[in-house]
Amino acid sequence: MISAARLRRSLVLVGIAAAVVLPARLSAFDQDQAALAAITGILVISVVLLSGYVGQISFCQFSFAAIGAFTTGALVDGHGWNFWLAMPVGVVAAAGVGVLVGIPALRLTGLLLAVLTVAVALFFDNFVLATNTWPAFSGGSTQWHPHKPSLLGQQLTGEYSFYLFTLVVLLLVVALVWNLRTGKVGRVLRAVRDSELAAGTMGLNVTAWKLAAFGLSAAIAGLAGCLIAVANESVSAGSFDFLHSVQIIAIATVWGVGSLAAAGLGGIFFVYGPELLSKTPLSAKWFPLLVGAALVVQLVYTPEGIVAKTQADIAHLLHRRTRVPVADTSMVEAA
Amino acid sequence: MLADLHLIAPLTVPGLALGGVYALAATGLVLIYRVSGVLNFAHGAVAMFATFIAYQVSIVEGLPAVAGLVAALVAGALIGFIIEYFTIRPLTGRPALTKVAITIGWLLVLQTGAGLIWGDTNYHLPVEVAPTNGFNIPIVNVIVGFDQLTIFLVAIGLSLGVAAVLKYTTLGASMRAVADDPASARLWGINVNRVTAASWMIGSAMAAVAGVLITPLINFNTYSLTLIVIYAFTPALIGRLISLPWTLVGAIALGLAQQWPTAFTSNGGINEVAAFVLVLIALVVIYRPGVGGARLRLRAA
Repeated sequence: MISAARLRRSLVLVGIAAAVVLPARLSAFDQDQAALAAITGILVISVVLLSGYVGQISFCQFSFAAIGAFTTGALVDGHGWNFWLAMPVGVVAAAGVGVLVGIPALRLTGLLLAVLTVAVALFFDNFVLATNTWPAFSGGSTQWHPHKPSLLGQQLTGEYSFYLFTLVVLLLVVALVWNLRTGKVGRVLRAVRDSELAAGTMGLNVTAWKLAAFGLSAAIAGLAGCLIAVANESVSAGSFDFLHSVQIIAIATVWGVGSLAAAGLGGIFFVYGPELLSKTPLSAKWFPLLVGAALVVQLVYTPEGIVAKTQADIAHLLHRRTRVPVADTSMVEAA
Repeated sequence: MLADLHLIAPLTVPGLALGGVYALAATGLVLIYRVSGVLNFAHGAVAMFATFIAYQVSIVEGLPAVAGLVAALVAGALIGFIIEYFTIRPLTGRPALTKVAITIGWLLVLQTGAGLIWGDTNYHLPVEVAPTNGFNIPIVNVIVGFDQLTIFLVAIGLSLGVAAVLKYTTLGASMRAVADDPASARLWGINVNRVTAASWMIGSAMAAVAGVLITPLINFNTYSLTLIVIYAFTPALIGRLISLPWTLVGAIALGLAQQWPTAFTSNGGINEVAAFVLVLIALVVIYRPGVGGARLRLRAA
């Protein structure tokens, strides 16, 4: 007899095994893309954490990523730092800015914070990262070119080894957020999402939790940014702009902000979607349009997201199948 | 630095024109938000798309600028109607976050769609509704373009017009009733769906006009035009998403705050700094808890 939980566990294990083994056979270019997909997955998780668990929309996830990326670029390429020292600095800087952005949350309820994040994103795009504002950070007219790091004496310059590295980071982040979700923190955050008023009445410090969620989400996005910097071995402001942030929200929402599995799928989708499109009569430029259309259609028909919907369907199927022969209430409850 | 002060007066003119455009776009945003409870993040993209319709009609097809303006007006209203009727209305009763996500989807669709239709070129000829020559104001010795004057007057006039409609007409009264409480409004015999659709159409049409009017003032492409109208969130916040007069004040303040600093720096990003600081002021100073706190909460309906 298969329970939904056991099915999910085996699916996750099969998924991880496939993610490790399958890309070994891909071309170098596709392995690079796979690494980018894993990194994008990390970004999607940062959105899942904020939108799915706390019910906030952030339009500046790529700005947080940019802090990680440009810190890495400036320290590794500009000052000759080791990547492993630069990365924590980038992550902490992103988290710090995340908390700063979240501070007006002390006063705001609901979606007004989202408006602030739009302002933050545009502020970064057109001012902080503009070539003549702060060349020591943005690299000015020359781009930063940080090299891939080495790990335990092993150079991560090979496409496959770098991919495995990003995959491990992705899984670690997933494990972290998964633990948050199933533990006390997850219950608190969901309470805050469902009703800030009720959560406050229960004695929860809603503001502090929201601030912490903002900081952690920004830190995760910043981590993704550090990885993007070394994955591409170049950092350019254009790949961290407002529209990228909008796309990542859309993709996270389409796959379901309530689900971590969405992260893996969302990352693959974000990287390979445009690739696939360029092989059709449409071009890769159509990708954001299709994502937007998918988002609208999906919200009208399945507001919980594709992954959550499929999970519910599978649970429903299993439930029906197991319920008929075994008239056992514990089974019904489990399903 | 002091030497640059004489630039303040000439910069006030485009600042006021820009402020007028922001007022127009922000009024549309507030209207949609108040009546339907949806913070419309696609507002800028709607304005941009409608403006490129005007560009198509007036510049590509060579028809008069006024025809382009009318086309943009109709296109804006139509897009607003489509968004409301097909994608917002079926979600009645769902969380506000879901509806906001819908507008994010539309932002991507309109943005990418416009890029595919009109290309990514950076320079487009503006749709000039009014002549670009101007007149000199003697004492301060400032040249005012007729286009800038027209933009200012049309934008302010339309904003005030919408405020008057809200205040004095039956449709306006219905809109205010729906904004306050859709359920009671329905009990009073108001067709809530129709009123909501009207607010989306009027609000989006205002964004469209704002988009067309601003074209002579900036170098525009499909992305920059969207971003410009996104700035309209700032005055809308200064009006606490409720008050049209304060929205107007905020819009003028933003227009001036974006123009004046250009006298002192060549960094184009200074626009962003001005908008960013104003958003912070609006969010931190104006949204004080306890000052009309209950009314500021986003409606879930």
